[in-house]
Amino acid sequence: MNSSREQILSRVNAALAPLAQRAALPDWDREMVILRQAQGLTDAWPLFAERMKAVNGTPLTSVAELVALLEKNNWKHGYCDPALWPSLAAAFPAGFTVETTYDRTRLDDYSFGITAAAGAIAETGTLVISDRGTSSRLGALAPWVHIVVLRRNQIYHDIPAAIAALPQDPNVIWITGPSKTADVEGILIEGVHGPGKQIALLVD
Amino acid sequence: MNLAHRQLPGADKRVQLMATCLCDAFYADVARATVEVLEHLGCQVEFPEGQTCCGQPAFNGGDWPASRRVVRHTVKTFAGDLPVIVPSGSCAAMMFHGALLEFEKEPDLPEVQQLAHRTWELADFIVNALGVKTWPGKFDATIALHRACHTRGTKTCDSAVALLTSIPGIKLVTVGEVEQCCGFGGTFSVSFPNVSASMGELKLEHIRAAKPDLLVSPDMSCMMHLGGLAEKEGHPIKIQHVAQVLRDALKNAGLL
Amino acid sequence: MATQLIDQFAKNLAADTQAAVYDGSKKGHEKRTKLLFDTYADPNRLRELAGEIKQHVIENLDTFLPAVEAKLQSNGVKVHWASSAEDACAAVLGIMQARGDKKIVKSKTMVSEEIELEHYLDKHGIETLETDLGEFIVQIDHDHPSHIVKPIIHKNRREIAKSFEREGLGAYNDDPETITRRARQFLRHKYLAADVALTGANFVSVESGRMVIVTNEGNSRFCLAGTKCHIALIGIEKLVPHDRDLGLLLNLLGRSATAQQLTVYTEFISGPKSAGQPDGPEEMHVVFVDNGRTDVLASECKEILRCIRCGACLNVCPVYRQASGHAYRSVYPGPVGAVLSPLLAGKKFPELADLPKASSLCGACNEVCPVNIPIPDLLLRLREKGKREGAKLAAAGTPPMGAWSLLASQPAAWKTALFGGKIINYLPTKWLPIPPLRAWEAKRTLPEWKGGEFRSWFRNRKVGAVAPNRPDRKPESKEGR
Ligand code: SF4
Repeated sequence: MNSSREQILSRVNAALAPLAQRAALPDWDREMVILRQAQGLTDAWPLFAERMKAVNGTPLTSVAELVALLEKNNWKHGYCDPALWPSLAAAFPAGFTVETTYDRTRLDDYSFGITAAAGAIAETGTLVISDRGTSSRLGALAPWVHIVVLRRNQIYHDIPAAIAALPQDPNVIWITGPSKTADVEGILIEGVHGPGKQIALLVD
Repeated sequence: MNLAHRQLPGADKRVQLMATCLCDAFYADVARATVEVLEHLGCQVEFPEGQTCCGQPAFNGGDWPASRRVVRHTVKTFAGDLPVIVPSGSCAAMMFHGALLEFEKEPDLPEVQQLAHRTWELADFIVNALGVKTWPGKFDATIALHRACHTRGTKTCDSAVALLTSIPGIKLVTVGEVEQCCGFGGTFSVSFPNVSASMGELKLEHIRAAKPDLLVSPDMSCMMHLGGLAEKEGHPIKIQHVAQVLRDALKNAGLL
Repeated sequence: MATQLIDQFAKNLAADTQAAVYDGSKKGHEKRTKLLFDTYADPNRLRELAGEIKQHVIENLDTFLPAVEAKLQSNGVKVHWASSAEDACAAVLGIMQARGDKKIVKSKTMVSEEIELEHYLDKHGIETLETDLGEFIVQIDHDHPSHIVKPIIHKNRREIAKSFEREGLGAYNDDPETITRRARQFLRHKYLAADVALTGANFVSVESGRMVIVTNEGNSRFCLAGTKCHIALIGIEKLVPHDRDLGLLLNLLGRSATAQQLTVYTEFISGPKSAGQPDGPEEMHVVFVDNGRTDVLASECKEILRCIRCGACLNVCPVYRQASGHAYRSVYPGPVGAVLSPLLAGKKFPELADLPKASSLCGACNEVCPVNIPIPDLLLRLREKGKREGAKLAAAGTPPMGAWSLLASQPAAWKTALFGGKIINYLPTKWLPIPPLRAWEAKRTLPEWKGGEFRSWFRNRKVGAVAPNRPDRKPESKEGR
């Protein structure tokens, strides 16, 4: 395998040697890629909520709303991050089964999963989750409904800000709306492998 | 697109006309209209008799040595420092972009660059070199402008739109999918006859849907392809070059 | 006269396949344009910038590759190198055999198609399952993807429903939602039963060693939640200098590929899962793949290595729309493929030398490309190469230019020909021994030959007589006419 390494690097060197000069790295202003609406915001939640709806996501501002939505659709069995459950449990009436350990052998039992946000991006309606901050990758992915618990001060205004603040974490994911495909005749279908419903729950 | 062609005319407005092989063979009136339009603007038009073709067919076909032979001839024929005006977006682009590509490693690149620097497509020249932004006269017609592909990245179409829409009587309609090619593509039209014709059909559909009285093009090759297709299927369409419309507008108002 | 292979393919393409490809690509293009121009005042400046960043990367791979290797290693990633397709396949197999693994779930990677990994692993008793819905359908049909981003753009729902029925995924039902749900149900258990997640990567940041993978379906995420080992096959050109460059490139990729501001799942992966995380790979490997890329780097077409595989150039290309992806006989179709495929073919260049001919050189591809690749210029360079090397496939249908160029460099002969050409006004072209003329007239009429008429008009007119109203003359002269 080492021979491949040396071979590749020496071929790269040979290919670049004849260049009289190398293309310079351009400097660019981060404002260029930022959407106009995102500039100069004080509270980022309204923009976040608007943009999240635009990608068919569901922004909610109270646990009661969440519970009502889950009840209405008969999504009664779920998973919740053990660190979050104590603060949410009181709002969930009898009839709900919520587990705080995700059992992968019973993948199909869970209709919702509640996990914690590592951030959010207002201009795109994006939720950020990370390995260290999310109790279970599967719990945040496999159930039909994924609820991310978010605080206002976690919302970045724009993509460059969210990139500058990428946490030291081996796995950070930006989620922009529910899982989707248009592979069959270009028709949009939501909920392919991941959630068909993506919810942001603001808790402050 | 390399927009090296920025040499302005002198006070005497002497220019050279590169009529292109398609005008030489088929579109004599387009070349004539170009001369009349330029002279109306006070230009002194010279026509170097030795001119033939810009070298594009061989360049596009991959035979660069053959193309370079023709370009070298063209460089010789258009020696001097006058602006060279071409009533064709693609032949102009051949001179200020294509030729530079095939001469990249040739010792006589500087001579080709010298010509590239003074080659202008007609509408671009009128607006951006002569500073003429509106056109007088009269031309009663609903027209559609074909955005010839080789004018991408140049100011030709914007210039043509500015001039045409300023002519009293002209109504410009928009055509669907303007970014799509008409399907000519030089030798592509004969080595890909089916795809080429299908592309042309789609273009004609869009044009017909816009219901213009007249299709106007800054390039003869697209005119030849689209006009030929439409005629072959028995529903000819009326097509004119930008230069012809500018000239006829003057004539209609007795300005020429 | 012989026509080009891709033209023949287009002519023989089934009408519904042609319609599917045409509609799919046209819609893709229209949505992209709308979103890009609705959001940004000057998207072209963004495309140029992104192109400059990627050009900087490919021209500095000599320093970037060792730098990113060191970074990845310090992040706990094992780095492998593969100079050929064989080496790349062997690297994957080696990793799996060392772990005793047997099953792969695969998220869409073009490199794996390029190296024909599935076939190789199959021979060595390893099962590979595609998880992207489109790729899954391609796999069960033993078909090939026909678009970089929309692999089954050429299929309709009825064909897919039949395939699902045949594979035991339920009774015939061609409702796209039902098809999707059935795939969801089938695949989700497969992720958990697999040993290895195989992915590509859209970008790797040299600065942080973060690799970025984007998917809409969430399949790559599921691969990386269900398995214990992650192998990423990455072309050596996929690097970006800094994390901040991703801000620009992700914006352009989502918009160009699928007309989204951001793709649904954008994953930044810099190593195996964190200690407290119950799900996901404990081991992570990156295989940097050359497989012809260093030849491209040494060629005059190195700009094609900027490509971020968004598929926008396919969607806008009139030839792709007519001919479909399979016409290109290679992993990468459309304008990008017409440049990249013959180059990656190396010694087999002559077998794909006709691809660069499949273009009217209209330049629409360059106009949409998020990294501003001058595709028409590169096609022209490859046409020149094909001609210089005497590639037969490239020559088909192209009239020889030698005699023409002699004619066009001798004014006297040229003028004679202009006069003599009049014959085409009087003789039916089928009597003339000029194949290109006949090919022209099969589809179109020719305008009347007017050879030399302009020249004689210009010579014979009285200068000034035709331009009485020159601005330098006094307006009164009009009355005097
Ligand atoms: S060449 Fe440009 S437009 Fe085509 S796939 Fe690559 S990045 Fe996209």
